[in-house]
Amino acid sequence: MNKGFISVVLLIAGSASAAWAMYSNSFYDAPPTPALEVVNADGEVVGEYRAPLARDILSEENAEDIIYGMRLLNETSRLLPDNVGNGLNCNSCHMAQGKRPLGAPYINTVGDYPKFMPRSQAVLDLTQRINGCFRRSMNGEPLPDDSAEMHAMQAYMAWLAKDLEPGQRVNIENMDYFKVGQYTPDPVRGERIYSQQCAACHGQNGEGMKDQFGDYIFPALWGDESFNIGAGMARLSRAAPFVKHNMPLGVSLHAPLGQIELSEQDAVDVSAYFTVKPRPDFPDKIFDWPGVPNPPDSRY
Amino acid sequence: MKAVKYLVAMGLIGFLLIFAFAKSVPYWFAPKMENPPQVDIHNPALIAKGEYYARVADCVACHTAPGGKPFAGGLGMQTPLGAIYSTNITPDPTTGIGNYSYADFERAVRRGVRPDHTALYPAMPFVSYMIAKDEEIEAMYAYFMSAVEPVQQANQASTIPWPASMRWPVSLWHLMYAQPREFQPNPNRTAQENHGAYLVEGLAHCGACHTPRGIGFQEKALYDDTSGNFLAGSVLEGWFAKSLRNEGVGLETWSNADIVEFLRTGRTDITAAFGSMAEVVEHSTQYFTAPDLEAMAAYLSSLAPKPGREATWQPQSDTTTAQLRNGNFDSPGAIIYAQECAACHRMDGMGAPRVFPALAGNSIVFAEDPSSMIQVTMAGGRMPHTEHDTMAFAMPGFYHLSNQDLADVLNFIRNGWGNHGSEITPRDIARMRKIVDNAPQHFVPPAQEADYE
Repeated sequence: MNKGFISVVLLIAGSASAAWAMYSNSFYDAPPTPALEVVNADGEVVGEYRAPLARDILSEENAEDIIYGMRLLNETSRLLPDNVGNGLNCNSCHMAQGKRPLGAPYINTVGDYPKFMPRSQAVLDLTQRINGCFRRSMNGEPLPDDSAEMHAMQAYMAWLAKDLEPGQRVNIENMDYFKVGQYTPDPVRGERIYSQQCAACHGQNGEGMKDQFGDYIFPALWGDESFNIGAGMARLSRAAPFVKHNMPLGVSLHAPLGQIELSEQDAVDVSAYFTVKPRPDFPDKIFDWPGVPNPPDSRY
Repeated sequence: MKAVKYLVAMGLIGFLLIFAFAKSVPYWFAPKMENPPQVDIHNPALIAKGEYYARVADCVACHTAPGGKPFAGGLGMQTPLGAIYSTNITPDPTTGIGNYSYADFERAVRRGVRPDHTALYPAMPFVSYMIAKDEEIEAMYAYFMSAVEPVQQANQASTIPWPASMRWPVSLWHLMYAQPREFQPNPNRTAQENHGAYLVEGLAHCGACHTPRGIGFQEKALYDDTSGNFLAGSVLEGWFAKSLRNEGVGLETWSNADIVEFLRTGRTDITAAFGSMAEVVEHSTQYFTAPDLEAMAAYLSSLAPKPGREATWQPQSDTTTAQLRNGNFDSPGAIIYAQECAACHRMDGMGAPRVFPALAGNSIVFAEDPSSMIQVTMAGGRMPHTEHDTMAFAMPGFYHLSNQDLADVLNFIRNGWGNHGSEITPRDIARMRKIVDNAPQHFVPPAQEADYE
């Protein structure tokens, strides 16, 4: 009787602790991703934002569109050879699938346009802005406004912002536009930094690195296959903030890029080295900054 | 009652006998050398040789904490019972080995016994060092005594709780698993292969990580015996040290030139060292002479498959490259790969040569035990710095991805591009998360103001 009772108790206790071990293990998961703030038009915090997860695309109604957009942003050069005149992709500069603050994210893009662009002294909508990238950063031809491709790219960007109400934006900076002008660029030092920290991927002559299909793994930073002089990246004030937070990648344990943060002087020096290298011309440069002086770091 | 008293008394007597016996073991089982040679510790040629042997033996990797001073100890190693810390082996007389005679040094390195007759934990690979030649130990002694900078840093106590922390039972482990042994060249192997075997079994102590361990935490084989256990792959601190035998899941897909290149530079066109192996390359194998590396590669290639294992790796045909390039992201694993991994490892799973390792045909990806693949994905990993490449690349840790996301994407990779391997479950990921969270802390004394100039 006593023995029977004890064994029953032991049995129950044993199964309970085994069950608890399995149960607790299944809840031992990643901590919640830190949230970004959502602010309204007045700058008041009204909610939280976490970039949607890759797997969530599959359950979206327009999954096909979003996926097509994602592909086009990742493999622009291969998928749109008629529109891309060099070896670059949108996501050569827009890091981590457009989800990374300070890495030119797409998170607020859909809500931020139409927007006044100093370079054209006009209000541009998102389609015009994307086509600006095709003509400058990708040294190519614009996509038709109503093409499936243009629609798909914007569908991907809209997916990133799917939980934002109109007028809201995520409280992040697209780039760390620090005051480049307060540094004296030293392109000689920049060349040394380039050799040590950039050339292993982008090539000693800025030629980039291709895969077995001839597509670029690492984009060319100058030369015919690189962005033209009309691109933002050809300007020191745009390149240095990008480089500061996003290059080199794959050198630390920090997600998502394995990034480190360069000192502002390092970012300025190395950018002063590569931005001024030979690269394709931009014939429509004559229409930029109409009626206002070109900024000092413009290539024209 | 009488019987109980009798049992207690017998138990006590038995315990005392075992205790006394264990205490006596070091004196007769691993005594100090009786007529130690006179070692000229100031002989520059001997010191230079000793520096090389100390690198082959990779003393610095374990005896240096990350960010700490070389050979000053403090590196934490996780055991099932708690963390133990490597010791200060600089020639500091109070906290290091400055007062060791040559006989003390020889006994510690080859027999695992301290001058005070305490048995060292087998984390010190004396079972491997045991076969090192006298002249090598003598040279290492000269190097440590004359060329290593003395550092005053007290050793850190282990976190193993009492009574498991008692050291005397370790002597019994020595008696069972650390019998004296000499290197036996195999007449069926070439002189080069035997030289490689001598290094691999001995100073380079590859088996300490790559040989599976038995019930007593002993290496199941210390040399290539008929069991095929030697270097057959083992898990340590959540890293899978893969099989180094010439078998499908081992080094069959590696040429001898690949092995040499990997040990010399920490990477090949398709893979890279990470985890503890990155430290091995950085501190040790990159400095090996070419003949030593070639001998080791020749020896590893001569190791027959473990009985029961496939001799060759048979990849399936690659449908993944076309699937991804065609945009067929029909599963969570595929779309997570596209968003989190493809920018570096690419649609063709080939990565970028010497920058980002390939996943297609990478023997860590299809290893029978996926621990290393899981841990490097979750916690990240670094390639070693060597003089052969300007940059050492790193993989960021994807700790923030959920167990389900990681399991899905790793199964996609493990079965992509012709790879095939056992399934990884979210529970496997949870288990690794616990290991990563409980990684041992290393002990580095806080920098003192005097350290700043």
